[in-house]
Amino acid sequence: MRARPGRHWKGDRLTPLGPLFTPPGSQGLPWLNILLILLAVPAAIILLWALLRGRVPQPLRLVGVLLSLGAYGFGALLVVEDSKHVTFCGSCHVMTPILESLKDNESLASIHFLSGRVPHDEACYICHSGYGIWGGVSAKRAGVMHMLHAINGNYDLPLKLNGRFDINSCLNCHAQAERFRAVEAHRPPDVQEALMSGEMSCAGLCHPAAHPESALGGGTPAS
Amino acid sequence: MIRLASAFALVAIGVVLTLAVRTDGATATLYSFVGIPALAVGVLLYVVARWRAGAFRSNGTGRP
Repeated sequence: MRARPGRHWKGDRLTPLGPLFTPPGSQGLPWLNILLILLAVPAAIILLWALLRGRVPQPLRLVGVLLSLGAYGFGALLVVEDSKHVTFCGSCHVMTPILESLKDNESLASIHFLSGRVPHDEACYICHSGYGIWGGVSAKRAGVMHMLHAINGNYDLPLKLNGRFDINSCLNCHAQAERFRAVEAHRPPDVQEALMSGEMSCAGLCHPAAHPESALGGGTPAS
Repeated sequence: MIRLASAFALVAIGVVLTLAVRTDGATATLYSFVGIPALAVGVLLYVVARWRAGAFRSNGTGRP
């Protein structure tokens, strides 16, 4: 099967086809989706029966309730897991230009993305979730707020980061790197203090902006 | 009331099936803000219907 040139992720120059270019674990069956369907379909049959007849045989009552609740439990797991994916973030129209800009090799995000320093399938989540377990929790809370903002249209362009960027997301990889430690500009105590307190940011001053302004404004990146 | 509860729960199951087939921002939003409330209302209506039918009342045959 030949790779087809185009703007899509699959088969273009950034993601050539073949097992060598896919992340480990992404080639198996989507078990979470399958289990969800296996629970939801019988639940739908029982509920349809109840809707048409107005009653359900005694043994099936509890089964119908449990299957429905189980399907929603798996649904929650599916949303939590799949919302880490870049394609999930890019599926909302305000985020699509940011996803596209990852290919331009100009912004800090695209430099990390194209060099493979962040996993391609979870790039947004890796940088924006913050460090540790509470980083993941706050990312999910922020995601719910993103959905609310998308529903009621309560957001302004260009998009701005809500609060300050958690520098620990950067330091998690860079702090131990020899190349990072060797840079003179990283060593002065006042610079370190300013960076840790959030007064100063890595991106935009010494390093390129995290995302191009045009993409944050909802447009396509400048070519 | 059982029919109404089933209708709400069916809407919720339809949403979760859509999520299983295609997980993206739109289906996750539907799941969070339509599916979960619909299932909650459906289960609540079912419990009320069963309660009104006397399912949760003691009939005095329980063991001491």
